[in-house]
Amino acid sequence: MSPTRIVITGMGAVTGFGFEWQSMWQRMLAGEHCIRPWQPEGVEAGTFPVRYAAPVDMGLMPAHLKGHPAWGLSLEKRTRFGWVAATQAIADSGLSTEQLRGAAVLSASGAPAHRLQDMLLSLADNPAQAPSWAQLMARQAQVDPDSSLCQSNDRLARVIADGIGCEGPVINISSACAGASQAIGNAFQMIRRGEVELAIAGGADSVLSLDTMTALYLLGAASSEQRWGTELCRPFDRHRSGLIAGEGGGFVVLETLERALARGATPYAEVLGFGSSLDAYKITAPDPQGRGAVLAMQAALTDAGLKPQQVDLINAHGTSTPLNDAAETLAIKTLFAEREHYRRLLVTANKSQFGHLIAAAGAPEFMLTALACREDRVTPTLNLHDADEQCDLDYCAHQAVKRKVDVALSNSFGFGGLNTSLALGKYREAPR
Amino acid sequence: MTRSNTTAVYITAASVLNAAGAECAPRDSQPQAAQPLDFDPARLARCVAAPALPAGVYDRKLSRSLEPQGARLLYCAGRLAEALRGLELPDERIALTAAIPEVDGPSSCWDAVQAIGAQPADLLAQFFAHTPPLHALMMLNSSVMAHAAEALHCKGPMGGFCSQGNAGLDALMEAAAHLSEGRADAAVVVSSSPNITPALYLRDATHPPVNPGPWVFGEGAAALLLTTTPGRGAQSTLRIAGFARGYSAQPERGLAVGRDVIERALSNEKLCLSDVGQVVADAQDPQVAALFSLSGHTLEHSKALVGDLGASALLSEIAVTWALDCSRYTLLLEHGRGGHWGAVLLARTSSDTETMESYP
Repeated sequence: MSPTRIVITGMGAVTGFGFEWQSMWQRMLAGEHCIRPWQPEGVEAGTFPVRYAAPVDMGLMPAHLKGHPAWGLSLEKRTRFGWVAATQAIADSGLSTEQLRGAAVLSASGAPAHRLQDMLLSLADNPAQAPSWAQLMARQAQVDPDSSLCQSNDRLARVIADGIGCEGPVINISSACAGASQAIGNAFQMIRRGEVELAIAGGADSVLSLDTMTALYLLGAASSEQRWGTELCRPFDRHRSGLIAGEGGGFVVLETLERALARGATPYAEVLGFGSSLDAYKITAPDPQGRGAVLAMQAALTDAGLKPQQVDLINAHGTSTPLNDAAETLAIKTLFAEREHYRRLLVTANKSQFGHLIAAAGAPEFMLTALACREDRVTPTLNLHDADEQCDLDYCAHQAVKRKVDVALSNSFGFGGLNTSLALGKYREAPR
Repeated sequence: MTRSNTTAVYITAASVLNAAGAECAPRDSQPQAAQPLDFDPARLARCVAAPALPAGVYDRKLSRSLEPQGARLLYCAGRLAEALRGLELPDERIALTAAIPEVDGPSSCWDAVQAIGAQPADLLAQFFAHTPPLHALMMLNSSVMAHAAEALHCKGPMGGFCSQGNAGLDALMEAAAHLSEGRADAAVVVSSSPNITPALYLRDATHPPVNPGPWVFGEGAAALLLTTTPGRGAQSTLRIAGFARGYSAQPERGLAVGRDVIERALSNEKLCLSDVGQVVADAQDPQVAALFSLSGHTLEHSKALVGDLGASALLSEIAVTWALDCSRYTLLLEHGRGGHWGAVLLARTSSDTETMESYP
């Protein structure tokens, strides 16, 4: 029996570039970014150490989305973004609700982000009287059922599933910054093993709140550098100083090629393999040798039946943190060492253009990798003016690159060394 | 890899922690009285004290940066360390999957909110004063995967799942797939119930229990060791013989989805429900009870003993089946409040030679 081929037939994205993948793709090819000055709500200007982020600009919302049910409920931002991205992907695929009934829904939506105004409900009239938890319980009747406090982590997955009348598996993924990539990879494997015929997979996240950004800053993950302005996100550059948070979401529709062709759909690209691994190193830092990253990329290639020499492009995790970018570069050089294939590879880091979408990061990056395979064009890594001596690959600095991309990897690595890599290929009629 | 190219997957070790103790207890044991909660004495729950982590497995300082559900999960994972070491596998061939609820506290951000109430103008200062450096990692549910991986030397494939009661099945299926499809030779599957906080009750208020009877949360954790060969001593080996999952977006479709999930779980072994000796499912759930109303099975479940363990419920029941049950086939059925359905079929192996059967 020949292996089941699985293709991407629908895509939807919400990022700082807007509410659809088409404008994101065009603006990224043009070398734009959406990082801008940012501060948490309610904080005096200039007092919060993290000054830049890539928030979603609600002003870019197209008219046809203004009636989307996501805006009618007090859902968390991440749930809204994800729901819009998923419905865009479904519309893009051309699938009807009836065709979606047996689909799997896989979503990653990050850690809960309780809004300050919801948390303030926990305060007693006299704050010294009671601990906040007990007071919250006493006031539970006042808590809006749609407030962030009432939204479980799998809310997005269920909102999507309920919206399409889904009866397939509904799965909520939690593997930190590798979440959306794991969702897509698991969806691919579920289709391949015959559990379902199609899946909607991706993720959405927003960490742009006072408490979460405080925590990320104190952890040393978020950059507070001031001197580069909006060019702060500098993957692989000597002056990179930490992640710049973005927000948004992305979803794709995956299905068997047989099914896609039977209904007349045109695949964007083919999913070839998925690999994951654990660093088992330290909770606070990646393995400096990039061994976990090597294992994940190797596993994706093995899963796809590919050799390293067949890879043309790596969409890197590329966080602009000193440790990740050096370790990821070393991992690429290790895995693609034979005949120094790493010198012929293109590597790009999308986070330089729309920031780090945390649990959702892998989804739009996966889409951009698929588009690179389809269009033979690769989005650039911005702000790479002074390459770190440890980072000496071709990172597509500054400008988009036009080159044939037959096979590509999309990497996502989560806090604590949870690693994923997805292998994609240009869609063609004959199997590889 | 296709469905025809699969390997059998066995459960060869298990550990639990819950209100019934740190050893698997028979489901018909007499439960201890449930305890009133600190934050709402009118509510009862079956809680456990945060355990000390097994000596020699984890860094001694780790317990300082763990919240309770993480501590429970790592306690159970750590108790599998010896059995895992005994397999003598390369680190890269050991997978780790987890059912990990969101972490709802105790969070220092709540202390910050409390302080802001006293000094509203000092919002930023209060957040910085109350947020320790590793707070982000402590509140990130997947951090426990990193801790478990480091301690147990798991470098193979991974998967973290954070749905509700169904997360345990998702973690089990993912781990079994890694083994059966050749990506790993052993897998550690870990799970924890969510911390019992007001937020848990707030969230569940939007999804009232399908069980109309007394509803008591429990605290607990469970961990399983999966391998591709049966353990030495067939008495303690179960084979994962089938599983399936689904979702009923429309409540009126619940029974049909539940029935379909059961049929698919049994289909790999070409069984019908009457071939199953034991069914582990919550008889208090009207839809579950309806599915078995004609089969003649007496439904067993640990909920009355340990409370509702959420993401850890299924793995805890599997651990009990592994340790105590003796039916040739045991079917476990989960029906979550959100509409999730899941079924697992376990087969008791009778000899060390049963190695070539495949799972679906």
